[in-house]
Amino acid sequence: MEQLTHIGLNHYLTISAFLLGFGLFAVMTRKNAIVILMGVELILNAANINFLAFSKYNGDMAGVMFSLFVIVLAAAEAAIALAIVINIFKLFRSVDVSSIDTLKE
Amino acid sequence: MHSLIQLSIVVLLLPLLSFVILIFFNRRLPRRGDFVGVGILGTAFAISLYMFWTVIVQTYDPAFKLAWDFTWIDLGNVPNVGPLKIKMGIVIDNLTVIMLAMVTLISLLVHLYSTGYMAGDKHYGRFFAYLGIFTFSMLGIVLSDNLFSIYMFWELVGLSSYLLIGFFFEKQSAADAQKKAFLTNRVGDIGMWLGILILYSQFHTFGYQEIFNNLAAGKFTMSNAWLTAAGVLLFMGCVGKSAQIPLHIWLPDAMEGPTPVSALIHAATMVAAGVYFVARIFALLTPDALHVIAFCGALTAFMAATIAITQNDIKRVLAYSTVSQLGYMVLGLGVGAYSAALFHLLTHAFFKACLFLGSGAIIHAMHHEQDMRWMGGLRKHMPWTFATFTFATLALAGLPLTSGFMSKDAILASAIGFAKVEGGGIYYIIPVLGFFSAMLTAFYMGRQIWLVFFGESRTHLKPAEEHHGHDAHAAQGGHHGHDDHDAHDEHHGVHEVAWNMRAPLVILASLSVFFVFSPDPLDGAKGWFMHMVQTPQTVVGRYVSEHPKAMVTAETALMAEAVQPEASHAITDASHANAEPAHAAAGNHGEGPVFTDERQAELAHGSHAAHYPAIIISSIMVVIGISMALVVFAFRIIDPDRTAAAIRPLYLFSYNKWYWDEMYEATVIRFSILLSKALSWFDAKIVDGIVNGVAITTRNFAFANGSFDKYVVDGLVNFTAFVVNTTGGILRKFQTGKVQTYVVLALLAVVGYFIYYFTKLIY
Repeated sequence: MEQLTHIGLNHYLTISAFLLGFGLFAVMTRKNAIVILMGVELILNAANINFLAFSKYNGDMAGVMFSLFVIVLAAAEAAIALAIVINIFKLFRSVDVSSIDTLKE
Repeated sequence: MHSLIQLSIVVLLLPLLSFVILIFFNRRLPRRGDFVGVGILGTAFAISLYMFWTVIVQTYDPAFKLAWDFTWIDLGNVPNVGPLKIKMGIVIDNLTVIMLAMVTLISLLVHLYSTGYMAGDKHYGRFFAYLGIFTFSMLGIVLSDNLFSIYMFWELVGLSSYLLIGFFFEKQSAADAQKKAFLTNRVGDIGMWLGILILYSQFHTFGYQEIFNNLAAGKFTMSNAWLTAAGVLLFMGCVGKSAQIPLHIWLPDAMEGPTPVSALIHAATMVAAGVYFVARIFALLTPDALHVIAFCGALTAFMAATIAITQNDIKRVLAYSTVSQLGYMVLGLGVGAYSAALFHLLTHAFFKACLFLGSGAIIHAMHHEQDMRWMGGLRKHMPWTFATFTFATLALAGLPLTSGFMSKDAILASAIGFAKVEGGGIYYIIPVLGFFSAMLTAFYMGRQIWLVFFGESRTHLKPAEEHHGHDAHAAQGGHHGHDDHDAHDEHHGVHEVAWNMRAPLVILASLSVFFVFSPDPLDGAKGWFMHMVQTPQTVVGRYVSEHPKAMVTAETALMAEAVQPEASHAITDASHANAEPAHAAAGNHGEGPVFTDERQAELAHGSHAAHYPAIIISSIMVVIGISMALVVFAFRIIDPDRTAAAIRPLYLFSYNKWYWDEMYEATVIRFSILLSKALSWFDAKIVDGIVNGVAITTRNFAFANGSFDKYVVDGLVNFTAFVVNTTGGILRKFQTGKVQTYVVLALLAVVGYFIYYFTKLIY
């Protein structure tokens, strides 16, 4: 029972895995580009949880530092990605990724 | 270089210049350029006359000789043979100078005559061009100092003869005649070339003098039979060109050419080239070769004379008479009468050219009627032609006071002497045939004169269908612009020819009078010609020493004397006596240093001794011949038609020219045709079969090869393409262009990697 009540590394990793799964699911299935970006944020945050969990159980601050960088990076990424989405919208009058397939052949 | 050599080169090249100008520019020149031909030949004749004056009149030296040569082709040092060179050069001696003057004179007169005869012909200018190339080639033969260049000019002469015989080439008969002449001449030329090669293989030189020197020095290493063979083969060239048996058949057919051509080429000059050539190589002819030549000439003279009796075409009679006279010349050379034969060549050239030009005038006046049966009574209409023609006829028949008498009798006297020297028997055939031919000559020429000039006109007797039959001649007349005359009233239009056709007749006839050549009408030997042209010393004496009548003696004195018939009497008699010891001496010492042929001396002596008998016999023969002609044709005591019917086989034999053409038709020509058919069959079936078989094999192989290429190689290529295409088709499905698909694929890849990694880790 202690295994269940005591919150350990596995709990963190499980949460993280679920977050990653949701994120991936969103990225892979949603048609709206904005929702996909949100999925990407979920994936990044799943990675952050992993970093923090390993940092806590490893006893050093490297993971914390990494997660701070990832948060900054995520902010920058969101800015750039939204700019791309705006440009895509300007170009295709739509943010539906399933209809944007000019890379095909 | 001696100035005479330079002049002779100018004379040689002038007619060539005429040819070049006329063949290219005759249409741009006024009068089609005939004045160019006449003018250039006039210049050439003037130069030749100057040379004649210098050499014959002023120098008057029997031994006169000038030579000049240069290396034409240097083949370098041929392995196993040694250095080989081909030289070209010019030799000028008395004979050359006389021939130069004769050829240029007759050529000039023929040029002049042609301005009248050929007027209005559509190829008028070309005719003069051809005359130019012919004259050039003939002068080349005369001036050549070696066998190679004479052979070249020999062929050129054959070519120009071919061109001129076929001048009216629209006529089938003329085209046939030119081919016949060319091919027949080729047969003789092949022999001549083989003869040249025999000598060349021995001495590596073509020059006459070098060959003679080598022979005299005993450098001929093959057997004596080869030397005789060389002589006979060289004589074959003469047989072809000078129309001797058995290659005489082309000359009568050559009368298809325009009549001036017949006069220039087929009577006076070209056919004499054969005789001239034999004279040039006379020194190397062995007695055996000379015997062949003598018999060939005698037979030719006799045969042609018998044929001439029955021919009706005025030009054909003259053609056979030419063959007959050429036979005399060859006979003369064969019996050793060198100067007499050449003398006859010269006199014959003048009177036969006169006869041909006269017959041309008659044909011209009669509007291209050539059949003597429909002529007659022309003496009133054409007095000039009649007078000159008759005089030339007398010269041809050999009546005293003419040039022909002197030269023919010189030959006949030598023939008698020859028969005596050779020991009689079969050799008497030669003089007998000669005398008999003389009689026949007088007969057929008397017949011709009578049929053409005397009696009444028989134009109206010509059968109507013959008019159409002679349309070939009318077609020829078309060339001359005369066909506007109606054939029926042609006799009313008979008139004497213009001055440019009359002048050559008068000049040629006057050159047939005896005093042009000799002061004594009975003896040509007293004249300048026989003095200036003397028998050359034989160079083959040492090779024929086993011959009973050709013995080598060492007596140098005899050599100088023997060639002069005047003085040779006593010395020849003396040498006759000691011929046996001399022969023995020659046998003992091998060869003497000087080669004096006893045989030649004996021949000269025999000829001199037979001079008066020959004159008497031949005069009797001529008188018999002429009286027979008068009896038959003038007084009609014997009816010629009934006589012909009485001896019909003989008549037909003569009328059909001894069936020579039929014989060739049946043998040589038929054989050639069969051979060519067989070869054609072989070619069509065997050679073509092999070629076609190869072609079929190749085609089948190529077809198999093509199938392999098509199905196997192309199949592989296409299969590769198919595989790539299919793979690509599958792979392109993955490239949807949608970002999410790529994400899924990337995730699948990562998951796949992890599965792989962990699977590997576990096991």
